[in-house]
Amino acid sequence: MMRIVNQLLDVPSIDPEDARRRKLLNILLIGIGTITLLILLATSVANIIGLVNQDEAALLVYGCLVTLIGISIIYVINRYWSGWLASLLFLLLLTVIVAFSDEPQQVVNGRALFLFAIPVLTASVLLRPWVSFIMTGLIDLMISVIALRIQFVPPVPTMLGFFAVALVAWLAARSLEQALEDLRTINRELDQRVEERTQELAEALGKNQAVLESITDGVVVFDNDGLAIVANPAVATLLGRPADEILGSDIKMLMSKDVSLSDQGTVTDLLRDKGKRCPSVKIEWGDKILSVSVAPVRDDSGRVIGTVVVFRDFTREAEVERMKRAFVSTVSHELRTPLNAILGYADMLREAVYGPLSDLQLDTIERIIVNSKRQLNIVNDLLDQAQIEAGRMTLSVTSFSAADLVDDVQGVMGVLAQKIGLELTSHVADDVPATLSGDRQRLHQILINLVGNAIKFTDKGSVHVRVYRPNADHWALAVSDTGCGVPPEAQSYVFDPFRQVDSSVTREYTGSGLGLSIVKQLTTLMDGEVTLTSEVGQGSTFTIVLPLIPT
Amino acid sequence: MSNPLALIIEDDPDAAAIFSEALKAAEFETEIIVTGDKALERLTVTTPAIVVLDMHLPHVAGPDILRYIRADARLAETQVIIATADSSMVDTLYEEADLVLLKPISFSQLRDLSRRLRQQGLL
Repeated sequence: MMRIVNQLLDVPSIDPEDARRRKLLNILLIGIGTITLLILLATSVANIIGLVNQDEAALLVYGCLVTLIGISIIYVINRYWSGWLASLLFLLLLTVIVAFSDEPQQVVNGRALFLFAIPVLTASVLLRPWVSFIMTGLIDLMISVIALRIQFVPPVPTMLGFFAVALVAWLAARSLEQALEDLRTINRELDQRVEERTQELAEALGKNQAVLESITDGVVVFDNDGLAIVANPAVATLLGRPADEILGSDIKMLMSKDVSLSDQGTVTDLLRDKGKRCPSVKIEWGDKILSVSVAPVRDDSGRVIGTVVVFRDFTREAEVERMKRAFVSTVSHELRTPLNAILGYADMLREAVYGPLSDLQLDTIERIIVNSKRQLNIVNDLLDQAQIEAGRMTLSVTSFSAADLVDDVQGVMGVLAQKIGLELTSHVADDVPATLSGDRQRLHQILINLVGNAIKFTDKGSVHVRVYRPNADHWALAVSDTGCGVPPEAQSYVFDPFRQVDSSVTREYTGSGLGLSIVKQLTTLMDGEVTLTSEVGQGSTFTIVLPLIPT
Repeated sequence: MSNPLALIIEDDPDAAAIFSEALKAAEFETEIIVTGDKALERLTVTTPAIVVLDMHLPHVAGPDILRYIRADARLAETQVIIATADSSMVDTLYEEADLVLLKPISFSQLRDLSRRLRQQGLL
């Protein structure tokens, strides 16, 4: 019902002010039309029961019919053509109705005179506020004409009074129009703001969404209740289940089928403290190796509103890592085994297992042994380097005596030093504890490397090994020589792998170029520090400072 | 009286040959076995004075053979020398073995060690 009424009242117009006026006119038309119909009905009934005379009734019926026709025409014009013209015609019709609604004397100076206020008020509402004044002028003119025709004095005070009515109508209509205009401006601004914000949001969301959808890392966001509220396509592929199945699940449900119980525990712990202690773990997820990284999601005020979990496929990397490890281990075995066999057989020959040897034969065997040992050392250096790089070098800490360690090294390297006329000396300070804690084998390796280096680069003089305590919490190993020294510009890179001070000396001083690099990396692994002080032509001192671990 | 028996359980033929020569030089009878299962088989019938045991063997691993020897009362007098390339194993095997040698083990090293064992009258 309301819909039909609304449809009847509705007018097609893009100007809201015009639409409002025309709708108003429609209401008036329908209202007046209804009243006219009621009058027509009442007149017919009154006529039938003989309350009015025939002539009066006929007049009323004609009047009503004319009014109805007029209203219909105006309605059609208003609805399909021009609101302005319709309003004008309506006002005209209204005025004519009022003018003919009663006897002329009643119209100009009696009971019907007040009715003229209706078109005056209507004019300001239907057309423009100021039209009420023109309407008043026209009506006053009409009243005057009618009055003069029936030889009456025009009712000047009333006519002026209509101007007051016009003034009130003008004020009211104008205020209404202004209020409506203000309201429309506010609405327009609001609409614009909403549109801008919507646009921004859409852009931001669009960007985030695009990023989320295109990255190959799987992303899931869990709310504070632990339920997934965001899941990108990559995570669906990684975890092998559709994104809409992931949404609404908690992490336990996601892991239940594909992850071992201990790994499940690791991941739940990770999520619980939101990656505070360690931001990511690598676990087996079904047939994949995934790294799982966790970070809290915060709103603008810094409040934690959820947890973002990023899954990355490490299956290939893990496989490469495993292959690399297998390769290093195989190579290490395959390289060392024949060298060890060569050394073993040469040793057997030297020890005269197969009969006594001539001096020349002995000398040759000695050369075989020296060269094989050199190669074995290089292989060992390379494998150590590979192991350190892979982060798989581990220390085995035991108790040992510093004096024993230095004696051992002196035993091995002393002969070598003597052969080229160098003196290898050592001193262990009294305040160094009798037993130290550390990886004896690796410390031995460090010392052999440093002493070997010192011997290699010293033509004459001595190499001195010193063990002392630089302070209460540390102990130190220092290897000094009287050799050629390291130029200042080279001191920064002597510890780099595969670097030797001058490539032209490499041939003269053979080696893998890894010795010092391994020394440095082993020292770092032991939480120690290695330093070099050197002056060209005077010699070098390499110092290893290590924390004193209570035994 | 014949020389005491040294059982060399080692799958690398070169290492085994060198060990064998070293032990012969220290006046042992030697016998080389290259797989873990053969070694266990042989240990049920012989009572060697020395076993040189490699840790990485086919079929039955070194530590299992060591455990077998230690569990058999008949082999209580047998000296076990472990040969391993893995330095981290030294600590774990130290308790059970009589000697743990880190590979590479040279001819002279093994010869001198086993000679010393004989001279000490242990064997």
